[in-house]
Parts: sequence; structure tokens; C-alpha cells
Amino acid sequence: MAKGIMIIVEQRNLQIRKVSLELLSQGRKIADQTGEPLVAVVLGQGIDELASTVTANGADKVILIDDAKLAEYTTGAYTSVLNKLIRKEEPTAVLLGNTAVGKDLAPRLAQRLGVGLASDCTGMEYDANSFLSFKRPIYAGKAFAYLTSNVRPIMATIRPNTFPLAAPDAARQAEIVKEAAEIDSADLVAILKEVAIAASKRPELTEANIIVSGGRGMKGPENYGILEDLADVVGAAVGASRAAVDSGWKEHKFQVGQTGKTVAPTLYIACGISGAIQHLAGMGSSKFIVAVNKDPEANIFNVADYGIVGDLFEVVPLLTEEFKKLVNE
Amino acid sequence: MATRQVYWNVEGHHWLYLFFIVALAIFGYGVYKRVKLWKLGQPENRWKDVWPGIKDVIVYTFAHKRILKDGYPGLMHAGIFFGFLFLAFATAIITLQADFALQIFHGWLYLFIKVTANLFGLAALIGIIVAAYRRYIQRPDRLDNKPDDAITLALLFAILLTGFIIQGARIAVLPDPWAGYAFVGQWMAIPLKAMLNEAQLLSLHVFLWWLHLALAMAFIAYFPYSKLFHILLGPLNQFFRNRGPIGIPEPIDFEDESIETFGKSQLREFSWKALFNTDVCLRCGRCQDNCPAYLSGKHLSPKRIIQDMRVLMEETGVALQEQNKVLAQAAGQEAAAASESEEAEEWTGRALIGEVIPEEDLWACTTCRSCEQQCPVFVEHVDKTIDMRRNLVLMETRFPAEAQLAFRNMENNGNPWGIGWTTRADYLTGLGVKTYEEDPNAEYLYWPGCSGAFDARNQKVSAALVKLLQAAGVHFAILGNDEKCCGDSARKLGNEYLFFSLATENIEVMKGYGVKKIITQCPHCYNFLKNEYPQLGGDFEVIHHTVFLLDLVKSGKLKLSNADRKTVTYHDSCYLGRYNEIYEQPRELLKAVGLNLKEMAHTGEKSFCCGAGGGRMWLEEHEGLRINEMRTDEAIAVKPDYVGTACPFCLTMINDGIAAREAGEQVKALDIAEILEKAL
Repeated sequence: MAKGIMIIVEQRNLQIRKVSLELLSQGRKIADQTGEPLVAVVLGQGIDELASTVTANGADKVILIDDAKLAEYTTGAYTSVLNKLIRKEEPTAVLLGNTAVGKDLAPRLAQRLGVGLASDCTGMEYDANSFLSFKRPIYAGKAFAYLTSNVRPIMATIRPNTFPLAAPDAARQAEIVKEAAEIDSADLVAILKEVAIAASKRPELTEANIIVSGGRGMKGPENYGILEDLADVVGAAVGASRAAVDSGWKEHKFQVGQTGKTVAPTLYIACGISGAIQHLAGMGSSKFIVAVNKDPEANIFNVADYGIVGDLFEVVPLLTEEFKKLVNE
Repeated sequence: MATRQVYWNVEGHHWLYLFFIVALAIFGYGVYKRVKLWKLGQPENRWKDVWPGIKDVIVYTFAHKRILKDGYPGLMHAGIFFGFLFLAFATAIITLQADFALQIFHGWLYLFIKVTANLFGLAALIGIIVAAYRRYIQRPDRLDNKPDDAITLALLFAILLTGFIIQGARIAVLPDPWAGYAFVGQWMAIPLKAMLNEAQLLSLHVFLWWLHLALAMAFIAYFPYSKLFHILLGPLNQFFRNRGPIGIPEPIDFEDESIETFGKSQLREFSWKALFNTDVCLRCGRCQDNCPAYLSGKHLSPKRIIQDMRVLMEETGVALQEQNKVLAQAAGQEAAAASESEEAEEWTGRALIGEVIPEEDLWACTTCRSCEQQCPVFVEHVDKTIDMRRNLVLMETRFPAEAQLAFRNMENNGNPWGIGWTTRADYLTGLGVKTYEEDPNAEYLYWPGCSGAFDARNQKVSAALVKLLQAAGVHFAILGNDEKCCGDSARKLGNEYLFFSLATENIEVMKGYGVKKIITQCPHCYNFLKNEYPQLGGDFEVIHHTVFLLDLVKSGKLKLSNADRKTVTYHDSCYLGRYNEIYEQPRELLKAVGLNLKEMAHTGEKSFCCGAGGGRMWLEEHEGLRINEMRTDEAIAVKPDYVGTACPFCLTMINDGIAAREAGEQVKALDIAEILEKAL
């Protein structure tokens, strides 16, 4: 019996996160292959307007759970609501993004439901025997494990940037269902009162497709402007090496490396970064690495696909100019 | 014959014995209370070697070896110590004469006592004045003041002063042909004689005699309740000190299924020696004064940790007493007597980790062991930190987020960066080095460690060392991809299980190849392979590259020309220096190639950590100054051309420090192997 592929859509400030749209895109494909409906679940407050976006991106059915207690993500409330919903809907598969929220929510939910969880997957395909098969890197990406499960629902979290985005179809129609939030008081262990965020329009480091990163060669916080210009032209996130963070030029949340964030964008542009092993540990698995450094001996050139030996204060503005031309074409 | 009458001008001195018995009873009760507190801890055998213990007491108490390393407070302490030592000797001789009828208080011995008691008594008096000046006027950061400090100083000062005035009054009344030997007493006599008549002098003498006696009895009674106790506990702790390889944590037997908790989170899980330590510590603050974490502005102070544990020990003692009272009321007197020795119920007081010692303090430690090295009474700090980290990691899964990645990388790929394990051999085999598999008869195993194998900067050190070894005709090979992280960072970060699995695998591999002798280029690997692997059955002869290279130079196998006449300063690695007492060999090597060696402000035993030890290499440093930059500043201050290192972590940290100071044009951080290679 077709119960559906359920995507738990993640939204923040009424913006649907990219990974959720990626999941909808891939989910649509599998739904078409199997005839299972694609069910999108959105939690939050004042989320009605999101239904159209979700529909356009491939959902057959949209379940909206609108409640003040769900305005911001809290582990207890979201677990409580989703546990009940999944038990009621009995979907064949439940999929989440492998984001901070997904990583927090999915294991807890899996435990409540008494099912397994394939976490941090980088692939998902239809499998004739068990419905879905997930690809998961092991041994630091040296090998892949393929996971399936015969228990229902099959649960998985998928790494951002795994699936391409399909073009949204505004003409799509979907069944919109509103459910009430039933939260067990025992699950309300924490209540979020306020979220203080540093405003940034750029994508988040771990989700970004392109990252422009600056190191000690930036010489000071005031010079990050040239990286930000470049980043804005190509839609990139801005990162920093430990040296730059230690010097107080950038906050720790921008740090890429062993003790900062581990990233794997399609393109990583390293400016004035020497390429210490601690930094490489955090970005070495980027698909393409471009290095700009005035020291031809810098270790970053050993891992870079393209190296530019030169003063970043000359090179980066030139790059920005050229990209601008390309983007405008 | 030179002598004097004992109990001159004093009647009823027999009361002395009653006072003495009372004082002794109070003393005994105080000792009993403290011993009871120490026994809250677990059993541990520290009665291992008696003669080395006695030797240590002679060296560290009577010769003041560590105390004098800090010149000014050291001399101050020596003054007080030797003053009271000679005064105690004088008192003992007089006791033998007065109470045991041994006629010895005369002749040369009498004169010897007169001179020494005056000379060293004066030294003690000066020492106490200096101590009070230092404590209350200079107020160095490392001293915190409690009422006990003031009471003790005042008591000692009053005992000495009344003693001298008594002597002066006697000399003023009684013409003494030997007065010249008691020179302080004689000086005292001059103003006394001028101000008072004979009757007044006699009554002053007898009044002060009784006062002096009362003070002395107060000293005895107060002893175990105060810092005076250190006079006894300090030497005892020197006797009980760990004489094996130092700073080695206790292994955990993971095969033992009866173990319910790992690491330590409760005071009573520590051994009696750990609790004893807290009473031995008398808050001199030398540890804190040399702690890189404290000096760089972290909250951690080794002194505070020990003192906070002491407070918790007392709280535990009180709580147990209360518990016993309740039990006594509930079950009558007999049951109470029995319950004294029984295990306490679950501890409901302040939690050791979190409430008594903040978790951040536990993670701030670089395990550099400078605290222990500077402690004159051998208090042991670092193993407690590791024990508590173990609890946080193995039981609570609470540790800095950055450590998670390092742990997982070590688990998956046997190195902290998570680089594919199949590429470990690539760099060195690229230099033409053979693996044991290819060359099973190699005499030495060369152990490059993770840094030497993977890190581009430290690969250059590997290349230099390989060149030197080849030039000297050493027959060596590597394990290649069979080598794994030695487990240093894992163990010091409290992940004993990870250490255990890495170490046992390494040991099995090395045994499989029949490895006997190992050359390491990392002091952390060196310390672990040499001192910690024997705990798991791995006994190898391990040699650090600086020691090995010096042997090659001395035996003429390695011929070096004089390098450029440049200036070098050597940064001691904690794990080479303090952990393994290798201070001289690296320096000799630098001198052997004709470099001009300059020492930094902190050097040798007092060397300042680079900040990467104890797994801190893999953690962020959020609070205060950066330790590596402080150390780099010290190096730059002596204006060297090179900073010589002998440790990959130190090299990385100093390199980062030089980059942060933008001093790369003036000074280069180089491993000693790299410096030597230039002189090939």
C-alpha cells in the first residue's frame, strides 16, 4: 500500500532550506518511479505561504503543522509532533537533511519509532527489494557503504549538496492538509525564547556550493571586503583559516579546518592561506580548489587544482571583475 | 668549663610537662583527624623504595634542592628552615641534659649551640620578616592569604623574638664569660641593661620565659591544624613520590567486566595519596607561576585545583560524620561504631567535576608538567586531570567539540587529520626509505609519527633526518602503512579506549616484525613508545632522534661541518625535557655545528610549553592569550636566527607564532635535524 515518501522540510524564518528542496527534487524522481506519493511536512508558525513553494518543488501532499510552539526548532516539540504524525501517516520512508536540525532530530525520532537510521548519506536510489538504497561514505570517503532496510519507515538523513535541484513547476497542484500540533508536555524540556543571529545574506559554510576563504595573507579584518565582493558575485559563502580567526579578523563560526567546520563545496577559493594540514583537514575534499598565494612554495598549491601565484589584493579584484562579466552574460 | 644553668631564674618549671602533654594531645587529635580524611581515598602502595625515599628527603628537604630553584623565596625559606633546625637541635640537647640527665650541655657543644642558635635564629628572624614583607607588601600573584598564614608567621616571629630577649636579659643580669658567642643575646643585653634595673630584668626574664614556653606549646598544638604541618608532610611526600617514568596515567583494563565506571568523577575514587597531596600543598604557588594555561589567562590554576580538592575532602569528611550521627541515632551505638568503616552512601554534596573544578579547567591543561616539576614537595597534578578527562570522555561523552573530529579520524585512519591510512608510507617511500616488509633485517625502526608522515612542514624534518641517518650508514626501515598514531593525544584527552586500541595494534605490528630498537622524531611518540607501551606489553628500546644523532656525531659516524655562525635558541619540548629529562643532548648538537646558543627566559626544567601538549593541538584556545605566541615572543626576544625544536607539535606552534608576529623574515623555526642537515 502506497503510504508515501515523507520529506521533513526544514525552514528558518519562513525560508525553506536548500537541502529540503534537493530532497523534494530527488524524492519526486523516486515517487514517479514507484508511484508512491511524495509527502512534504512543514512545521513552524505562519507557514501557509510555504505550501506553494513545496508544491512547486514536487510534493503531492503537503502537511502543515502551524503552532506558536513550533516557531523555532526545539528538539522536544518537533520530536513529539513528528512521532505522532509518522505513526498516523505510516509513510514508507522518512527523509531529512543532514543539517544541525536533521542530525539532532532524526536519531531521536528513529529511536521513538523503533527503526534504523542511515545518517549523512550522499546518495539515494530506488531499490527493487527494499524500496530505497542509501549511499554513505565511510573511512573518510575511501569507501562507500550501501544501506537498505526492510523495516518501515526507512529513515535517512541526506547530506546537503547531494542532489541537483529540479526546476520548480508553479502549475503543480497538491493536497494541502493542516494538522494540529500535539505536544506531550513531557517533551517540552526546553522552550526557545529568542534567537539572536548575526545577519548574513550569504549561504552557510557547510551548505555553500562555492566558498571564498581568506587566511593570514588578508593582513586585517578590513580587507575581507574584497573577498565578500567576490563571494557576492558568485553566490559564495566566506570562510577563514584558523590564523585569521585567531587574529580576531573573523568569528570562529567562519573557521574552516580541523577545529572549525568541515566543508566540501564544489569550488573552494583559498586566498592567502598557506595550506597547513589543519586547514586541509577541513576542506581537502572540495571538488575543485583554487589557491591564490604570493608564496610559490605554499603547501596549498600541493592540493590546489588551479594555483595563482600573486598578490591576492591584485588577483582577487580581477577575479571579481571577470566573474561579474560572466554572470552578467 | 663553658656551660650555663638550665632553668635559671625559673621556678616551677615542672608545669612544662603538663602543658606539653596537653599540647601533644591536641597535636595527636589533629593528626588523627587528617589521617581519617586521607583514608577516605582508595588504597595505593607508595611504600616501594625506602632508601631512594630517604635520599630524596635529604636532597629535597635538607639540601633544599627544588626550594632554592626559586632564588628569593628559596633563600627566605632556607633561613627559616635552618634557623628552626638548629634551634630544634639546641632544644633537643637541653632536653637530654635536663630530663635525661645526660651531661652534654657544656664545653664545645655548648658553644656550638650558642653560636648556631644565634646565627641561624637570626637568619630565621630575617626570613620571617622577609616572608611577611613578601606576603603582605609585595603581594605576588601566586600567594593567596588566609588567616593561618598570618598566625603562623606571627607565632614563629614571637617565638624567636622572646627567645632572644630572654637570652639578653640573662646575659644582662648574669655576667657570662661566653656571652660573645651568643652575639644576638649580647646585643639585646645592651639596651635592656640601660633601661631596666636588675629586679626588673629578672621579672622580665621569668615572664618572657613562660610566654616563650606557652608559644612553643601553641606551636605544637597548632601544628596539624595549620600550614606548619608541611614541615612533616612535605618530606613525607618527597619520600612517597613517584620514582618511575613520570606522568604515566594508570592503565584501564578494558577486559575487566566488573569495572562499572571509567576515570574519576568522585573525590573518593582517588587514592589516599591524591588526598594526602592536598594537605601537603601549602599554596606556595610555584605551580601556578609556571603554568602556561594560567599565565596565558585561562581560568585554570594547578594550585586552585589541589586546594579546591582539599576543601571537598573536608566537606566529605563532615558529611560522613553527619551520616554516621544519623545512623547512630537510628540504630543505637553499636551500629554506629560498625558503620564508621562502612562505605558511604551516594555522595550528595558538591560534584567534583563541574562544581568544584570547572570542566574548562580540565581541558585547559597542556599536560606540560611544569607544575609538578616546580613543586618542592612533589604534589602530582596532571594524572588527576587525565583521570577526570577520562570520566568526561568515557562515561559522560562531554568534551570539546573539536576533539570529536580528531577522535574519529584516529579511529578511522589512525591519524588525527583523517588522511587516508593507505597514504601514510607515500612520502617516506618516495625518499627511498624501505618498509620493514621490504627490509625485515633493518636494525632500527624509524617511527616518523603522524606529523612526520603526513604534515608537509614536518615531512621536511623527516627528509632531513632520513638524509642524516643515511649519511651515517644507519640500517633502518619504517612500518609504512602499518604504523598508526601512537595514541598520545587520545590518551591525554581522556579517550583511553582509543589509545588502548591504537597502542595494542602498534605493539602487535612491531612484535610481528621483530622490532627491537626504534628511532622517533616526535617526543610524544617517544614518551609513549618508551614509557607507556610497556603497560600494554610493548617493550622496545626507544631513542629520540636528538639523542641518536648526538651518538652518531660523538662516535664519528656522522661528520658535520660547522654550519653558518648563526644564533639559535632551543625550545625544550615538555615531553622530551620534563617527562624524559633530555635537556642537554639537543643543545650539544646545536653547539656541535658551531651555532651560538642563547637561552630564552624560560628554559630547561622551567621551559614554557608551546601549547599543543595534552591533546590541546586539536582543540581551540578560546580564552586569554595564545600560549604559542607567548612562547614565540620569548624566542624572538633573544634575537635568534633560528628557533631550534625537537618536536613536530612545537615546530607547528612556533611556526604559527612566528607567522602571527610576522617575524618570518628575521627568524626561522627549524627542527634540529634540519639544522644538522645544513651542516652535512
